[in-house]
Amino acid sequence: MNFSVITSQFWSLALQGLSLGLIYALVSLGYTMVYGVLRLINFANSEVFMVGTFATLFIETHVLGYAINAPSLHGFKLIYTLFFAFVASMVACALLAILVELVAYRRLRARGANRLASLISAIGVSIFLLESMRIITISRPMTTPRLLDKWSFGTFHGANFRIDTMMAIIFPILIFIVLDQFVGRSRLGKSIRAVSMSEENSKLMGININRVITLTFCIGGLTTGAAAFLYTTVYENTVFNVGFSMGIAAFTAAVLGGIGNLRGAFFGGLALGLLEEFASAILGSQWKAVTVFTVLVVVLLFRPNGLFGEAVQQTRT
Amino acid sequence: MNKKIVSGLAIAAAATLALGVVATSPAQAAAKTSVSLAFEGPLTGGDAQLGQDQIPGAIWAIALYNAKNPKVKVNLVKADSQCDGTVAANVAPGVAANKDIIGVIGTSCSGEARASFPAFKAAGLTMIAPSASAVSLTDPKAPDRGFPVFHRVVAHDGFQAPALARYAAKGVTSPKFYVIDDMTTYGGPLAKGTLPTAKKLGTVVGTDSVPKGTADYTSVASKVKASGATVVIYGGYTTDAAKLFKALRDGGYTGILASGDGTNTSDFPGLAGKAAEGVRLTAADVPFDSLLTKAQLADFTKVTGIKVPGLYSTTAYNATNIFLDCITKGALTRSAIQLCVTNGSWTGAGGETIKFDRYGDIIGGAPVGGYLVKNGVIVYDSVA
Repeated sequence: MNFSVITSQFWSLALQGLSLGLIYALVSLGYTMVYGVLRLINFANSEVFMVGTFATLFIETHVLGYAINAPSLHGFKLIYTLFFAFVASMVACALLAILVELVAYRRLRARGANRLASLISAIGVSIFLLESMRIITISRPMTTPRLLDKWSFGTFHGANFRIDTMMAIIFPILIFIVLDQFVGRSRLGKSIRAVSMSEENSKLMGININRVITLTFCIGGLTTGAAAFLYTTVYENTVFNVGFSMGIAAFTAAVLGGIGNLRGAFFGGLALGLLEEFASAILGSQWKAVTVFTVLVVVLLFRPNGLFGEAVQQTRT
Repeated sequence: MNKKIVSGLAIAAAATLALGVVATSPAQAAAKTSVSLAFEGPLTGGDAQLGQDQIPGAIWAIALYNAKNPKVKVNLVKADSQCDGTVAANVAPGVAANKDIIGVIGTSCSGEARASFPAFKAAGLTMIAPSASAVSLTDPKAPDRGFPVFHRVVAHDGFQAPALARYAAKGVTSPKFYVIDDMTTYGGPLAKGTLPTAKKLGTVVGTDSVPKGTADYTSVASKVKASGATVVIYGGYTTDAAKLFKALRDGGYTGILASGDGTNTSDFPGLAGKAAEGVRLTAADVPFDSLLTKAQLADFTKVTGIKVPGLYSTTAYNATNIFLDCITKGALTRSAIQLCVTNGSWTGAGGETIKFDRYGDIIGGAPVGGYLVKNGVIVYDSVA
């Protein structure tokens, strides 16, 4: 064990943990939103993330035409390019998430199928997407061009406030605030909360259940797409199975925070990112997964519904 | 059990055994007009470049052989085990079940080799690996050794690891080493094997093991920077090396970056981008193009479509030629191939003598080369 790294690298690790954790949080929101209304885990969300990373890569290299070794961009061109890739990734993931809902959930729900059937069909969609991308890319990892030069705002006790790290911290916080407000205050947000509390009563109140569920998948896709863009911008690579480990981490974060709870997903992701960084630094990277899941089990032993409580009603914020 | 059934089974078993013997008898073997060799290695997946760099050496050797119109033609069967033991454990039984295959050029990775051993040992299928270099594969005391089917035409990591440490620290005053591995059959022992030499040359300020496939290397980068290391050695494969080296450079580390032959693939500079510049790599291989005449290189390109032969084309070519020589000498069954490979002696593409010891290593080892990434291309530098 190396505790000295805590004193020498505390702020650096904290910053990296925050950026990683907030990317987890965005994907985690995708899981928790769907769980809130359907009380089912959308296992295809990890592959929605994967498609988002490839969408970002595709936009940058094929639509905007930047070569892998293209020089970094500056000024308006940089902002325009990143914004375009960001929006494209979110839209691609939202559309895919809606498609997942239509294919894997809606038809089964309309026919009154067992809930497990939807779960299996979502896993089927996930495998379909994963294997399709494996075939398309012949399993090769792909790198994205470094369009954003990784300049630094400055350092604080060894922590390097790099532009990409700061983007991965600020963007998710802004997205979470907007989402939190949307679910808490808007008419559509209230519909989502109503459906999460009681589908039957929502129907009686005239809420279009299908519309709300589609909207929920769409929102989950948007947050997951944002995470995919940030991941690709920070780590500059992707591979057909990138969604697997991200999906496990984000689902863990959702459970840690309390699945079905927006704030739980957000802070669960944050806690997981910090935990991974500090566990890797203190115990060695090989102990990262062991530490994370040990902490998860311990937390669930004392708080079975997660840190913020599971209850679907918690979606009320 | 019914007596009739028992006697029927006994007759069927005897007939199968007799047919099996006939099928592999010398007389039957002599009638063969073609046999197959398999290339087993990563042809897709994250480490595909390793196999894609090697297979042209085998393709060219077989093309040259078949062009001479021999009595027995040779086909090449491609088996993609993705540098992954789990995949190899599924692929190898399929290769072993194909009775046309009498020898395996492979595997490329040590983990693949270990996972393939049960199937190939059971089938008596001889392997000659172009690049699987983990020491344990030929260690008589190791439980996962490949005896008697495994052979390799590459120096094992007992040679490469000290050379990697020496080459990484070349020209560095009082080097401070930080050694990281990917926890694989190959990467773990290679990285640990550098430690004794590193301690002689300087000080080891830290070690870490990060599982292959990790996405985020920032915490490792922080630790390396905090340690004051001046030389980082990574035991692992290209994809993860690219991620790690990028994280280290982005994290402000400015010292030497070095890795072994698992990273020495032609796609590494593209994956690592600017972080690849100046990276020091080793490999127990002599660049194939340096051994060929212009006419030979032109023919190699014509046959394989590859302009510049990649790493371990030479060893793949050597491994294939050993099988082809045995076939020329009339070894057309698996058992005959094993006998031939175990007892024969050959001259490699570089003029070196290749003869295997009892456990499958080249007697006398082989030199380890040092390579540098310059302007986005891996170039041979010197003996490491």
